[in-house]
Amino acid sequence: MRLALFNTTAFRLSVGYTLLVTLAVGVTLGSAYLLTESLITDEVDLIIDTELKSLEDKFARAGVPGVTDEINLRIDSWGRIGAVYMLADANYERISGNVTTWPFDGMPTEPRPEFEIATIEPGRRAVHPVRAAVRTLPGGDLLLVGTDISQGRRFAEKFRFATLWGIGLSTLAAALAGFWFSFRLARRVGEAASTCEAIMAGAPGRRLPVAGAHDEFDSLAISVNRVLDRLEEQAGTLRATFDSAAHDLRAPLHRLRTRMDALLLRSPPLEPAVHESVDSALREVDHLQRTLATLLQIALAQSGAPLAAPAAVDVGELAAELVDLFEPAAGDKGLRLACHQEAAVVQGNRQLLAQLITNLIENGLKYVPAGGAIDVAVRRLADGVRLTVSDDGPGIAGPDRSRAVQPFVRIGMAGREEGSGLGLSLVAAIARLHRGRLELQSNEPGLRVVVELPA
Amino acid sequence: MHVLLIEDDTEAARFLVKGLRESGYAVDHAADGRDGLLRATEGHFDLIVTDRMLPQLDGLTVIEQLRAKGIGTPVLVLSALGSVDDRIKGLKAGGDDYLTKPFAFAELLARIEALLRRRPNTPHTTRLKVEDLEFDLLARRVTRAGREVELTARELKLLEFLMRRAGQVVTRTMLLEGVWDLHFDPQSNLIDVHISRLRQAIDRGTDHPLIHTVRGSGYVLRSDL
Repeated sequence: MRLALFNTTAFRLSVGYTLLVTLAVGVTLGSAYLLTESLITDEVDLIIDTELKSLEDKFARAGVPGVTDEINLRIDSWGRIGAVYMLADANYERISGNVTTWPFDGMPTEPRPEFEIATIEPGRRAVHPVRAAVRTLPGGDLLLVGTDISQGRRFAEKFRFATLWGIGLSTLAAALAGFWFSFRLARRVGEAASTCEAIMAGAPGRRLPVAGAHDEFDSLAISVNRVLDRLEEQAGTLRATFDSAAHDLRAPLHRLRTRMDALLLRSPPLEPAVHESVDSALREVDHLQRTLATLLQIALAQSGAPLAAPAAVDVGELAAELVDLFEPAAGDKGLRLACHQEAAVVQGNRQLLAQLITNLIENGLKYVPAGGAIDVAVRRLADGVRLTVSDDGPGIAGPDRSRAVQPFVRIGMAGREEGSGLGLSLVAAIARLHRGRLELQSNEPGLRVVVELPA
Repeated sequence: MHVLLIEDDTEAARFLVKGLRESGYAVDHAADGRDGLLRATEGHFDLIVTDRMLPQLDGLTVIEQLRAKGIGTPVLVLSALGSVDDRIKGLKAGGDDYLTKPFAFAELLARIEALLRRRPNTPHTTRLKVEDLEFDLLARRVTRAGREVELTARELKLLEFLMRRAGQVVTRTMLLEGVWDLHFDPQSNLIDVHISRLRQAIDRGTDHPLIHTVRGSGYVLRSDL
């Protein structure tokens, strides 16, 4: 049996595992990113605050000219590393600083407004993002201090890029590992399952493969193999028991029959009356022999011993042949026996399957009154074969149906000597030996026996 | 005809030896596998009848060793093991026919006769003829006294089986095995019905029937009783 990979527990586990890895890596890298970004922003804000504080102090001590001097001084020494200053009057007109026009539409509402500033650097025009803070000085003038944050932005961008790649790659790695893992797992479980199937299908000597990895699969395989050894040994013992039982029961029957045969063949011949009674005793011996053979066959089939050497059998063809064999006898009894079949192959034992169909047809011949009909149908199913034998005879009442397959149970046949009461039991046993199932249904009226066998 | 019987059940063997001698066979008896193999190797037998389970040397081993020595004498295996696998094993080991105990003596006789008369190199026959009954095997056409006889595919197979063994007694079990490939006995008188239909087709309206019933055994197809 091959498991579809997507159906395996291992596959589902590895999908879950991949999602978990993605989530964990995402949370870790994401929070590192957010933390770093906020650290950078805090650093920038601290610088802005410090500058604002010192310029406010300067204003307190030296007024607008003092602040202007200070700003010019700082532009000269720090301007190139991205400090931005502007002192404006209440109408947002520039008094001093390295920003030419007020960058906001009036007074910004956020505590840390951001804007962009265009600079002309040697050779190229550039736009720099700036993070800033604005203070209203006593007297109504406005003081803006900002810092170029393009470096931080670039860093954050790189960090974000690295984070996304990190999440992507680790998801990919987890998915690949999971796929490999589930493929390996599915293969090992699949190997075990197909070995079990092979054993069921009649290769009792097969054992689960042991990879030698000393892992849990190996230890499971070793345990299962031990169970299989034990079962095979038991099947062997059972088989030997059946063989000796068969031998010990058949040998005396054989001696009995041979003696009676000799009586019938001897010259001078027996008196007609004696001949008649020996002859009828002989028929009893044959009946006994058949019952015994059937009983042994049922016992063997129920022992769980697998079917020896199964081969391809076309159940449809077999049913047609048997219907052909029985048709004249059915016709003589005034019964219509017909077969509707299609080619339907199972792995099994032709003789046992023939016995199964024979028993079902014989049952019909036995129970269906003249004028009735017996229909044998064989249909191919998606994964096996369905054999149906239906008649319009007296049928079996619902509560009796499950009893009917038990050995020596005859339904509605009290007083009739014909039949061993083993017919349906043998059918059930043979169906079971072929891993199939048997169901008795009402044919309304009559009996319908359905046997489904796996291919 | 010289038959070797290898059978450890002395009582059964006694009756079989007696019965076979009365039927006109010269019979030697060996009571275990080793003795049986020795005699079969040294003597010249037309047929060997051996039990499957034997002391000293198993019946199937006896056959295998005989075949390994290049001795092709036909072998009939008798067995108290009746399952289908046992039968297959018996035939695989080199047995020519397989009979499950208990069996009717008449069945044994018919099978012995069939094995002795078996001519292995006649499959190329294209026409079978018994008196005025003719069977063209290629055209699958049968005529009786020149008049065509309509037969079903199954009846043709049955007739071919009988005609190939013309003059030999063929039991119902042999017909089930040979024509239907069934190795168990259905309970009803199925074969009788098929034979009587065939008989209707072949023998109706003639004053010398070809298909005869042999009481207690089976059927024979031959020109006259």
